[in-house]
Amino acid sequence: MKTSDLILQTATKLILFLIVLFSVYIFFAGHYTPGGGFVGGLLTSGAILLLLLAFDMKTVQTILPFNYLYMVALGLLFAIGTGAGALLFNTPFLTHAFGDIHVPVLGELHLHTATLFDLGVYLVVVGVTMSIIQTIGGDE
Amino acid sequence: MAKQVLLNVFLGFMWMFLTTTYEPVAFVKGYIFGLLIIFVFRKFFDSRFYLYRVFSFIKLALIFIKELIMANIAVVKVVLKPKMDMTPGIFAYPTSLEKDWEITTLANLITLTPGTMVIDISEDKKILFVHAIDIKDAKAEIDGIKESFEKAIMEVSRT
Repeated sequence: MKTSDLILQTATKLILFLIVLFSVYIFFAGHYTPGGGFVGGLLTSGAILLLLLAFDMKTVQTILPFNYLYMVALGLLFAIGTGAGALLFNTPFLTHAFGDIHVPVLGELHLHTATLFDLGVYLVVVGVTMSIIQTIGGDE
Repeated sequence: MAKQVLLNVFLGFMWMFLTTTYEPVAFVKGYIFGLLIIFVFRKFFDSRFYLYRVFSFIKLALIFIKELIMANIAVVKVVLKPKMDMTPGIFAYPTSLEKDWEITTLANLITLTPGTMVIDISEDKKILFVHAIDIKDAKAEIDGIKESFEKAIMEVSRT
């Protein structure tokens, strides 16, 4: 029997953005409060999974035309890059730096290079989860 | 477009509630993150990513300011010329714009840039009757308006 996914699709259209914003919040909360790249990445892939459940794979592929394997590679590059960046300043591998930077509108920001490492983790988690799901769910 | 802006404002407020900081800065941060998220999911909407439209509006405003300055200099030249050798006249300008507000904007822009002035609009809203200070090159005038204003307005109104 063919049924319409109207309610699921309409609800997804709003809830998707809430989940992704929450995942961004979790990602940035990682330093002082529970959260971080791993949970944030999982939440984002959960949001994309909701999109996959509500629509079909082809639609999701046109909405998000990413190659998730490249995403994994990019994430690993971020992690290695932040580690190797420390070598340029004559400090051991994976030494991180931080500083307070004043940004015009946002005010005082406490920036830490560990966030870039976390961004690598985030990208790897999203990439790996989505490639597993797409590989299992795909027809080919 | 309005839907995307509304969603973005909503995401900004949501960020304030998540971080429990009720300051304008928190809203700005949430708005920026919401903007990023909407940009990533831009193909999810049936209209364009709304920042493109904002950019094309800014472009239209800049074109208007540029044309205003250029045209005023041209009028100063006409006024200060000792010999009155200009030939005023009225020409018909065929427009391909359809919506009422587009035609109104175009007419106002033509009028505000001196040298030309919209007098009337035909019944079927297809032709604008424009009075020009110097009719000699009406063809070039039409092409000029088409190239600058009409294109920029179309860029704004495209969904």
